Parts: sequence; structure tokens; C-alpha cells
Amino acid sequence: MNFVAPIFLLFLTACAVASRICQARFRAAFLLAVSYAFYCTRSVGAAAVLALLTFAAFRTALAAERTRAAASPAARWIGPAAVVFLAAYLAAFKIALLTPAHGIAGLAMPLGISYYTFRLISYILDVHWGKLPAETSLLNFAAYVAFFPQIVAGPIQRPGDFLAQLPPKPASAGAGWARIALGLAKKLFIADNLGPAINFVYAHVSTLHGAPLWLAFYLYPLQLYADFSGLTDIALGAGRLFGIEGPENFNRPFTASNISDFWRRWHMSLTNWLGDYVFVPLRMATRQAGNWGLAASITINMVAIGLWHGLSAGYLVFGLLHSAFLVADALTGRRRSRFFKAHPAWDRPGRWLGWFLTFHAVALAMVFFRAPAVGAAAALLCGLWSAAPASSLAAAGFEPRNLHLLALGIAGYALLEAGERWRPDLPLARLRHCGIRWVRWSFYSAAALLAAFGLALMLVYGTAAPAPFIYAIF
Amino acid sequence: MADTWQHMQHVFRDIFDDEALDLQPETTAAGVEGWDSLTHIDLIVALEREFKIKFTTAEVTRLKNVGELAALIDKKLPVRP
Repeated sequence: MNFVAPIFLLFLTACAVASRICQARFRAAFLLAVSYAFYCTRSVGAAAVLALLTFAAFRTALAAERTRAAASPAARWIGPAAVVFLAAYLAAFKIALLTPAHGIAGLAMPLGISYYTFRLISYILDVHWGKLPAETSLLNFAAYVAFFPQIVAGPIQRPGDFLAQLPPKPASAGAGWARIALGLAKKLFIADNLGPAINFVYAHVSTLHGAPLWLAFYLYPLQLYADFSGLTDIALGAGRLFGIEGPENFNRPFTASNISDFWRRWHMSLTNWLGDYVFVPLRMATRQAGNWGLAASITINMVAIGLWHGLSAGYLVFGLLHSAFLVADALTGRRRSRFFKAHPAWDRPGRWLGWFLTFHAVALAMVFFRAPAVGAAAALLCGLWSAAPASSLAAAGFEPRNLHLLALGIAGYALLEAGERWRPDLPLARLRHCGIRWVRWSFYSAAALLAAFGLALMLVYGTAAPAPFIYAIF
Repeated sequence: MADTWQHMQHVFRDIFDDEALDLQPETTAAGVEGWDSLTHIDLIVALEREFKIKFTTAEVTRLKNVGELAALIDKKLPVRP
């Protein structure tokens, strides 16, 4: 079930209503049941494997806790061994995907494998490090691992954060549906309208020059952001319908004025996860090695982020580029901040320059993320500077109708950025808490009209067949 | 304890390059600008040097706020006569 499919929205509505009717003490069991029902629509076999892994992780964490309490030598290896096993399980599927037949003996990639293995690993490490007591209810733990709004594409919620919310208390359904509507709009109105032009350019990289390549260079980051943050919005909104608040994944990433700031704003649940479970242990182990230790830890961490998406040369280059940017940023950070403190007049221009460089560095790395192969990425980057006259999209065979959609997508994106910039400051939202009834009701009717207008726009201009979410395949 | 706190404040101000930084036991990473996983380890290394102690990865990941960090440092310091 795709998150934008009407059948998914119907399923979600039915489950959300049933969860509200359900008694609080049965709600975790209910969530578990519907999560597995959702998972089984993709593959019953993969659901059985998920159940098996969940049970094994549950017992392992209890054993890790028991052996630590008894000061047994086994406490040192039980947790790490389980983590190595889970990482190998994930890597095996990623390697299997490299084979032309898509997998060992035709095995398909289990839905959300990259997300649920990370959830299991963080749980075992948290218990191993004594950060979290082992969960004693198998039912609650299984509901956490399989929670269907988050299994397709995250966000990667930490076990302590999720388990503390059980049994869930459903909050306002309006807030959940508003978040889902925002996600659908980002996906259907922005990402899917920007997509066709970008796909066209990437499919014809070798024959195009100049302008269309710049278009794809600048627009792909926006498409990826609208697509992935839209997916996250739907996941968070759906979670909210069941009374589960998930972690945010994005915080206006393209306003970042340096590359480490970008990574504090982009795919935050993954970055924080790797920060805690990969970077910090590595950095602790190499802390006496000075700058070399720092560079090695950053590189391993960023290559892991790249390869988490899949084992391909493009994702590797993506990770290596970001490690180079981050190492340069970390090694010069103190000097830069001293300079700007001593020269306050440079602070503003410095921020603008930082923003400009950061966006271009991010867009450059994303070319390798998006291109079908490293060669195609290189061709695009060379073609940007080609002396040949710029090609026209229409002349290359791109449908003119899609150009209108592209313009709409760009306008939609501008609206999205403006909304994220000014929405928090708008006094409008406060009107709904106003004591005067007619003010309150004017607010409700204006919001309903706006929603209906948005829906109509989406039906007229939104793409007829939604493209799959980019992040749903990882 | 007051002594530990003063030394910690000094190290924090140096790492975050902020002479006005005022530590409270309930201060967390979210409340200090620039405190991310990178600077967190810089901070840990600087504290190890300042107090001549060693932290483990598990200890470093378990900390919830500055108060817990101070308590951990005090636990590691040799008892003074």
C-alpha cells in the first residue's frame, strides 16, 4: 500500500477510528495487529521474519540486562554480537540487490528493512549501554518495531521515546489529518510536478547542454525534500491519529549556512541515529588520534549514511563528498567563528556566502545520489559548463504540458518555503483558541474553504498517477 | 562539588567559545548553541584532560544533562583527604 493510495487512506481512517473506540489497555495490541495486517499485504513471509527478529531482539536484550546485573563476562558480547548479526542481515539484502536477478533465489527486499533493523539495533545498544531498561512486554516491543506509519520510510523513532507513549492516548485527530494533508500536498503538488522534468534530464544527460542541466541540478534537491518530507509528514500525521508523536525529520534544511548545520536539519532521525550509534563510539575510540581520528570518524559515518541507501558507487561518492565537506567544516570551524567575532561587519555577508556554498555543495552531492551511475553524474556536471549552445527541453522531446506542471511545482515549492518561514509567526492560528464564537467559527470556515480549494487545485493540476516515494525503497 | 562546577564551566566556555555561557545542572545539549555529536566529544576530551580522568562510551551516551555529567566527574575524582 502506497501512502498516497486512496486504499491506504481508507485503511488508516478505519484503524484510527477503531483505535479510538478500543479500550486503552488493548490499544498497543490493536496497533500491533493492524501493523502486521499492513505488513502482510506486502509479504507474509517477510512479516514472519520480522516477527522472528523482533522476538530474538526482545530475548537478547533481556539476556544482556540479566548478564550485566550478574556481572557475567557474557554481558560484554551478547549485545554487540546481536548488533553485528542485524547489521550483517541488512547488508546481506543490500548486497543481494546488486545481483541482476534482484536477490538471492528471487527473495524480495523486505518492506522497511533499513528502518526496522536500525530500530532493533538502537534498542539492543541502548539496553547494552544501560541507557534503557529492557522492555518486559513483548507485545509493546513488537508494536514499536512494526508500527506501520513508520515502517515504510521512518522516521526512525528511538525505543525509549516510543515505549514511553504506550498505551497511546489519541490526541486531536484534526492535527493528525492536517499534517497528512500537508504531506500529500508536498508529494502530489510539488514533488510529482517537479519530477518529470528532472527524470527527463537525467535520462538524456549525454545529449543535453547548459540550461536544462542547471534546471535539474537546482530542482532535484527541492524535489527530494518535498517528496521525503511529505512522506515524513504523512507518517507523523498517521502516528498522531493513534496518539504516537514521532521525531521530526526536517527543519528547513535549505536555510543552513554551513554543512554541519545542514545535517542537523536534513533526515534528522537518521543523522542522529548514526551520530549516537556510529559516530560517538568511533570518535570515543579515536579521540587520542587528534584530527586524523576526527576525519576517520566523520568519513566512516558519512559513508555509512551514503551506503545505507544502497550499495552503489553513486551513494559512496555522495558519502565521501559529504565527509570531505564536514571534515573541512570541522577543522576550520573555530577559526571561522573567531574571525566573525573579531569582524562583526563580515558576519552577514559571511552567512550569505555560507548559505550559497552549502546549497551548492548539497546539490553537487545529490547529483551522485540521483544519477543512475557515476558516469552519468559526471556527464551532467561537465555538461553544465559546456560551451555548446544550451539545449531546449521542448526541442529534445519533453512534453510541453509537463513544462506547465513544472512551473506549478516550482510555485508550490516557493509557497512551501514561504509557509515554513512565516507560518510560526502568523497570529492566524491563535484565532482558533479565541473566546469569541464568531471569530472562532470564521477561522474554521476559512480553513475548510482553503482546504477545499487546495484539494480542487490538487485534483486539477496534481499528477494523475503519483510516482512512488523516493525514500520508500530504502 | 563547587570546584568541579567551576572547572567545568571554564572548559565549556572554551569549547563553545562563549564567555557568557552559564551552566545549570538541567542544561542539555539542545540548550547550548553548537553542541552536537562533534563538539560533544571535543568536550569530553577537554574534560578528561582538565580532571585527568577517563570516560567510557557507555557513560558518554548515557548522560542526560550537565548535572549528570558533573556527578559522573565527581564520582571519578580521587577522594581528597
